[in-house]
Amino acid sequence: MLAEQILNGLVLGSMYALIALGYTLVFGVLDKLNFAHGDIFMFGGFVAVTVLALGAPLWAGALAAVVVCGVLGLVVELVSFRKFRSHDAQITAALSSLACSIILIDATQKIWGTEPVGLTLATAIRTASVTVAGLRIAYVNIGILALTLVLMILLYLLITRTRMGRNIRAVADSAVAAELLGINVTRVTQQTFFVASGLAGLAGVMLATRTGFVTTELGLTFGIKALAVMAIGGMGDLRGAVVGGLLAGLVEALATQFGLGKFGDMAVWLLMIAVLLVRPAGLFGGVRKETRA
Amino acid sequence: MIQDHIMFTGINILLAWSVYVILLSGSVSFANGAFMAIGGYASGVVTTKFGLPLFVGIPIAALGTAAFGMIIGLPALRTRGIYLILVTTGIAFCVKNAIESIPYVGGVRGMRGLVGAEPWHVWVLVAIVGLLLWLLSRTPLQRILDATREDELVARAMGINTVYVKVIAFGSGAALAAIAGGLYAHYMYVINPEHFGILVSVFVVLYVILGGTNNMWGAPLGATVMTLVPESIRGLHEWRPIVFGVVIIVLLLVRPEGLLPFRAPSARVRDARDG
Repeated sequence: MLAEQILNGLVLGSMYALIALGYTLVFGVLDKLNFAHGDIFMFGGFVAVTVLALGAPLWAGALAAVVVCGVLGLVVELVSFRKFRSHDAQITAALSSLACSIILIDATQKIWGTEPVGLTLATAIRTASVTVAGLRIAYVNIGILALTLVLMILLYLLITRTRMGRNIRAVADSAVAAELLGINVTRVTQQTFFVASGLAGLAGVMLATRTGFVTTELGLTFGIKALAVMAIGGMGDLRGAVVGGLLAGLVEALATQFGLGKFGDMAVWLLMIAVLLVRPAGLFGGVRKETRA
Repeated sequence: MIQDHIMFTGINILLAWSVYVILLSGSVSFANGAFMAIGGYASGVVTTKFGLPLFVGIPIAALGTAAFGMIIGLPALRTRGIYLILVTTGIAFCVKNAIESIPYVGGVRGMRGLVGAEPWHVWVLVAIVGLLLWLLSRTPLQRILDATREDELVARAMGINTVYVKVIAFGSGAALAAIAGGLYAHYMYVINPEHFGILVSVFVVLYVILGGTNNMWGAPLGATVMTLVPESIRGLHEWRPIVFGVVIIVLLLVRPEGLLPFRAPSARVRDARDG
């Protein structure tokens, strides 16, 4: 079913977009890649699974995931980014955050084991669906799409309408100028990491709810694709992350539909390479300072 | 067991130098794990499918991978910094996926029957490459690389063809990684795409950064430390990845410039000093 695959692609894409928003927020503020982000996303799923296993409702699991992942983001910022502010330290910060993700993966395996962990949510809730014009749509998918939309609107309002958002934009524009104007850059960076990681955690909960289980490999298989998504949309650009995410999800779903499974995994990266070569700033990005030496 | 350590330390030193060579021209490559894979598979095809000896297979693999590296480097090196990190990461993913979908080399299951590499082969190569890099650091070529790395615009203004320099460096790094990959494959007997995942590429860059990028000795030191540290904490077997991660974070925080941060004096300085 083509329509069904397109819907799948959009749902997949909205999760990519949520993770990519985190990558892009951090990149916008610090000009650095946070390699731990994909595994924070993975960890969010595990937190939700554990909370649900205690008998708590889904919203409580999601809330717990947001808070725990947000705090993890703060830890990553402290150990891997606080000291590496200069432009020359881009690789160092990326590798340091990668070390964080190694620790996170291993800690997850220590706590929950290496096998996939199932979500204790009534199967009926996961598979309940409604049929519209011959197309079977699971409520879970509608929920994910709706929640993503709401989150994006909230994020947009946060960035454009609040004091915190204004500070984030100021630091993204120029950290030095922002600091001179009395903005606490460290505080803004922490806020950015918290929001970014919270979104990733929520995306982890969504994926767990949709597939019914979580594994420790998700960060390296699913999460890291959002890195490509961010680059496709334009690094540091929120609209870009959303459009790039949906695009990547659709391409992947269509590749599966037409029986190009392996190519589907590659498509996101090929698309990213093509975009970066033709338009290094991405589909939406303007000319940024590091395009020139 | 000891033989394994000697072998893998040597391989990792070669890989670290393959990243260092590219880094000399100011580019970062997260694709060297992919070049290693291409080298391993190409030499494996030459030895197992065509029945030629290993010392024929490795040069063919090295040349082929260098050509591949230069062809993709030509467009890819237009980008720099984070963009280049992303492009090379993408290349690493694509190469791995591509190999997985080629039945001729075994797809996901991989290739078997690869034999013939001994630890001393690797260490002879380490010595040769080390000597070449040391000689390089004493020639004007080093200054050309330095200029290209530090400020491309100025380098171009001085008449240096920076595209040429960067592509050649990229190709050399790819060839070196391919040699390491060929030796690795023929020591392991079996290789599959999982051996050359993205983490391999990233770890190799990590060796160089941990060791220090200012001179040619940082890369081998970083590679040696990072190959042997996980072994020396074998007593903590269960906690190995966590300890490894913590060691990386602490080293980066304590020595952000690497373990060996000194700069080798340039040939001109030495000439002036020695009269």
